[in-house]
Amino acid sequence: MAEEKERLEQDQREKPMSFMAMVVITGLVGGILWSGLAYLAYVFNFTEIRPNVILEPWTIGAWKEGWLGTLISILLIGAISIVAALIYYAALRKFQSIFVGAGYGVALFLLVFFILNPIFPGISPFWDLERNTIITSICFYILFGVFVGYSISYEAQEIRGKTEDEKKARTDPDLT
Amino acid sequence: MAQRKTKEDKTPIFESVHEIEKYMKNRVGLGESFDLGVRKLTILRKDVHFYYINGLTDTNYIIAIIEGLVGINDSEKLSANLFKIIENRLRHQSIEHIKTMDELVDQVLSGLIVVVGEGEGEGLVIDVRSYPGRTPQEPDTEKVVRGSRDGYVENIIVNTALTRRRIRDERLRFEIMRVGERSKTDVAIGFIKDVANKDLVDLIRKEIKAIEIDGITMADKTVEEFLLKQGYNPFPLVRYTERADVAAAHLLEGHVIVFVDTSPSVIITPTTYFHHLQHVEEYRQSPAVGTFVRWIRFLGLLASVVLLPLWFLFVLEPSLLPERIAFIGPNEETNVPVIAQLFLADVGIEFLRIAAIHTPTPLSTAMGLIAAVLIGQIAIDVGLFVPEVILYVSLSAIGTYTTPSYELSIANKILRLCLLVAVAIFHTPGLVVGLTLVILLLASIKSLNTPYLWPFIPFSPVALTQILIRRSMPGSKIRPSIVQTKNRYKQPVK
Repeated sequence: MAEEKERLEQDQREKPMSFMAMVVITGLVGGILWSGLAYLAYVFNFTEIRPNVILEPWTIGAWKEGWLGTLISILLIGAISIVAALIYYAALRKFQSIFVGAGYGVALFLLVFFILNPIFPGISPFWDLERNTIITSICFYILFGVFVGYSISYEAQEIRGKTEDEKKARTDPDLT
Repeated sequence: MAQRKTKEDKTPIFESVHEIEKYMKNRVGLGESFDLGVRKLTILRKDVHFYYINGLTDTNYIIAIIEGLVGINDSEKLSANLFKIIENRLRHQSIEHIKTMDELVDQVLSGLIVVVGEGEGEGLVIDVRSYPGRTPQEPDTEKVVRGSRDGYVENIIVNTALTRRRIRDERLRFEIMRVGERSKTDVAIGFIKDVANKDLVDLIRKEIKAIEIDGITMADKTVEEFLLKQGYNPFPLVRYTERADVAAAHLLEGHVIVFVDTSPSVIITPTTYFHHLQHVEEYRQSPAVGTFVRWIRFLGLLASVVLLPLWFLFVLEPSLLPERIAFIGPNEETNVPVIAQLFLADVGIEFLRIAAIHTPTPLSTAMGLIAAVLIGQIAIDVGLFVPEVILYVSLSAIGTYTTPSYELSIANKILRLCLLVAVAIFHTPGLVVGLTLVILLLASIKSLNTPYLWPFIPFSPVALTQILIRRSMPGSKIRPSIVQTKNRYKQPVK
């Protein structure tokens, strides 16, 4: 019996990372990864929008157009993505479908391209954009939404399952 | 399933050995099939028979057993309790009592011998099996420079033994069951009891027990199709291995392994996309070298999927290219559309691959030579192909071969052709939307409750680092969370 108890204690998985830390890292990595890929898409002219547009509202040196500007833009987008991830965490984490994440991505796209559009002089008004630019941007936003949304939902579901398991383990003596 | 019901009818073993013989003649074809035989002995004036299949039993053991049985006549006087005496005299460690004719037939057809005696109403099963088979060899599909060279064979007993040799843990379990109404193939689920996720083991056990089919001659593949129901999705949802060390490593990580008799490959579950990109070789080299190999492999994978559609897009729309690499794209005019060239070249390579599978080795060397040297060059000379087509098709073909999982490499090839078609029709949006859809599709697949693109989507920072960087063994203390193991720690944490 003593051995059994010991094993049960072992069963309790120690979380290597808290949920909140995971959400923040997911947002950061998601932002950096997808805006990095978006920069690649810009290099190959799939889209006319480069990550640097995020620096344009500020009048700072000419470096913002160079590689340093690109790098800082990508990191900045990563930071902003943390906020996006936190919003998803607060509002939508209980949905498990990946389409919720995709929908979240589309919502972010609409937000940036319609409502926040005036902030970025680098992004032309929506109806003046090229077809390729719009399609590529939507795809990146959807992928970002799925990346952040599905990750957070999955983790939330895991944690829910785990607490249920533990509850079961406490009440059900057969479960060793 | 009416037939099945009657089969499960438990006819007890007849008291009279002649009744049993009659049953065997009527039902199993004793006297008709030449491989089934009966040996009749008389021991202390009582009839004792045993049944055997002549190719699956080891004659030396049987001779020794007969010697022991016949010896009873010289040393014993009383025939009361004859069966007790016989059991005592059987020179073998593995003896089992059975009560029904059904079991008797099953056991005999599996290659064991069953001893029955006049007036006893039960049988003694003796395991004298000796299946035809090869000795463990290095599997062709998973070669390594260093490391063990023994691979699984077609015999489930040898396979579980090879695994047990690597994990002598008291908690390692091999649960055996029979699948197939007619073939009665042995299928075993291997897992470590306090590590593997119990729900997963239960699920796999339930699914395997639910299989109702006459035979599973294609062994593990058939079991996989029943287990996962993947339809026409080309991506492999389980990983196969023929290496005992790979299977043992996965057992220790908390995976569940399914062994199927008559097949040298075993099923590893649950599996994600990234499991198909790992190879033993990475773990046999130092972590730095392993990481390097892995990154090159990822590049090969990217090349096999994206390179060809991307180049084709640049051919269609040269304006997309940044100035520095504007030289890419065919310089000469051709009569054949590039998309047709790409498909012809890719299908040509596929011809070669399919042909190489069933061509004897000496011939396939010659075939490779013809293909590589002659066809490509001549196709350029006659103006069928642009040289660049050959270059990019070959690169992506080599990328395909760097994928360690054969199943995944073919799925990627299909994916590449689909992307090519999408690019041909829709140009840039075709590629971008195509890739997005593929990622979404892969992310939405769940193989035995495991997201297929884990740890990328859903994102798991720790696990993804372990995939991008091959960690050293002393540094990896935690089992991957995806198997939802009961015991997370491989090593005590100090």
